[in-house]
Amino acid sequence: MLLLAPLTAVMLLILIYPLGLTLWTSLYNGRFSFDAYAELASSTLFLRVLRNTFEIAVGGTLVSLLFGYPVALHLAAQPPRKRTAYLIMVMLPFWTSILVKSFALVAVFGNQGLINQFLGFVSGGTVNLPMMFNRVGVILGMINFLLPFMILSILGSLLSLDRRLILAAETMGAGPLRIFWKITLPLSMPGVLAGVLINITLSIGMYITPALLGGRQDMMVANLVDFYTRQTLDWTAASATAMVLLILSGLLVAMLGKVRGAAGLAGAGA
Amino acid sequence: MNELFGSSRLARGLVSSSAWLCYIFLVVPSLIVIPISFGNPGQIEFPPRQFTLELYRQFFTDPAWWGSTVQSLIVACLTTLATLVLAVPAAYALARSRLPGRGGLQGLFMMPMLVPVIVLGLGLYLQYSNWGLLDTTAGLVLAHVMLTTPYIMVSVMSGLQHSDVALETVASIMGASRLRIFFRVVLPQLKASIAVGALFAFLMSLDEVVVAYFLTGTDSMTLPVKMYSSIRWELTPVLAAVSTLLTVLSLLIALGIIAMQGKTEASS
Repeated sequence: MLLLAPLTAVMLLILIYPLGLTLWTSLYNGRFSFDAYAELASSTLFLRVLRNTFEIAVGGTLVSLLFGYPVALHLAAQPPRKRTAYLIMVMLPFWTSILVKSFALVAVFGNQGLINQFLGFVSGGTVNLPMMFNRVGVILGMINFLLPFMILSILGSLLSLDRRLILAAETMGAGPLRIFWKITLPLSMPGVLAGVLINITLSIGMYITPALLGGRQDMMVANLVDFYTRQTLDWTAASATAMVLLILSGLLVAMLGKVRGAAGLAGAGA
Repeated sequence: MNELFGSSRLARGLVSSSAWLCYIFLVVPSLIVIPISFGNPGQIEFPPRQFTLELYRQFFTDPAWWGSTVQSLIVACLTTLATLVLAVPAAYALARSRLPGRGGLQGLFMMPMLVPVIVLGLGLYLQYSNWGLLDTTAGLVLAHVMLTTPYIMVSVMSGLQHSDVALETVASIMGASRLRIFFRVVLPQLKASIAVGALFAFLMSLDEVVVAYFLTGTDSMTLPVKMYSSIRWELTPVLAAVSTLLTVLSLLIALGIIAMQGKTEASS
């Protein structure tokens, strides 16, 4: 009891109080009202940012699924020792600071970056792909961050799959494509679903990646919170926007909790 | 060897080539900063055409960079210590007691992991601007204690699951006080999981940028905040040196965590 009191007090003071204060600020501006929310609902800026957020989160998640699935398949097919070696590569970005990754992505994909230097060299200076400070840049940064979560989630499902099923199907004459469609893919769906939910949850609250790798048009909800707080000094709008984000991510977390234990959500706030 | 996608050579080739594309995409950003950091101090250049330590010299001699690095290390150390002191006893109490509100408390301690950091950043900003805690080291450490608590909790709770309750019972029968049991029986068994949690908390605090960006100003600016504004506004090559040092430190910590995790599993 005595051991729990100090931490509980800190959490109430530094976690619950500020969340309550945010809710209060969004509702109380001289008097109680939902005006701030009504204003958001009719603000073209807010609606555009909300649409961006969905587009980027869903787009990033789909790309991450598209590339993550083959990686999970590749990993699942390795003998354990080799798999560990490959997993180190998958986990490397997980341990690297998001700022280091953002800086490096600019160095690789930027206008004077590695890839454009190469393209310029082979094309004699005529080709330059704008891949940074626009939607492509945000998605690249996003999937670099999201892929490890997607891969590990799918890998979990693939490794628990009973391989005798596949052996049996092969013996009975099923081709590789058929085996994939009828056995591997359906049985890995729990991992896919959890991976998709984790990715969307992680990406809707993203702040650093759109700010550093996106353009002016790629503002996401988290950036809008910052914009209201620092640029327009409208704390009421900032709080209401933050509450919308909190509710959205709460819904996603609840869905994920249904799919698998909440423990699988490590780092969801990032 | 490969039952998952059958024996078709085409399928295998497709899978492994797209997998390799991803491995490269995942690894290159963490590693490319290293060669850049030893190269041209005038502009970001890859492949580097010269070898020099100039960027490191600039990093260590510029008070804006070095000062914020020291500040980050101080914040990370204080955060780790404070979180350990608060969270380890709490994790022990949660694991051993049959309190009615147990689930609720556990939810409270895990919550920072589930709330988007920007929401916490704004809430703390509103709170601290009322309380005069903006741009103070104490305020930032408090916020980081809250953010890192779930990670130490997870690690210590899993360590407690592996530890032997019977030992505590024996010590209690032999007349040891509860305090003595905690320090002499429980803590020694938890050494490795506490170390894992502490390393994780240290790294999290060291890398944390969103909340620090909201709460710090010129007096208490941490390294990630300095890096953020530098990437945003100037994109100086010094960033490559900073990134290299940070990556090496992160990888050392990661190795430490993996080694310790191996230990906790071996001892159970």
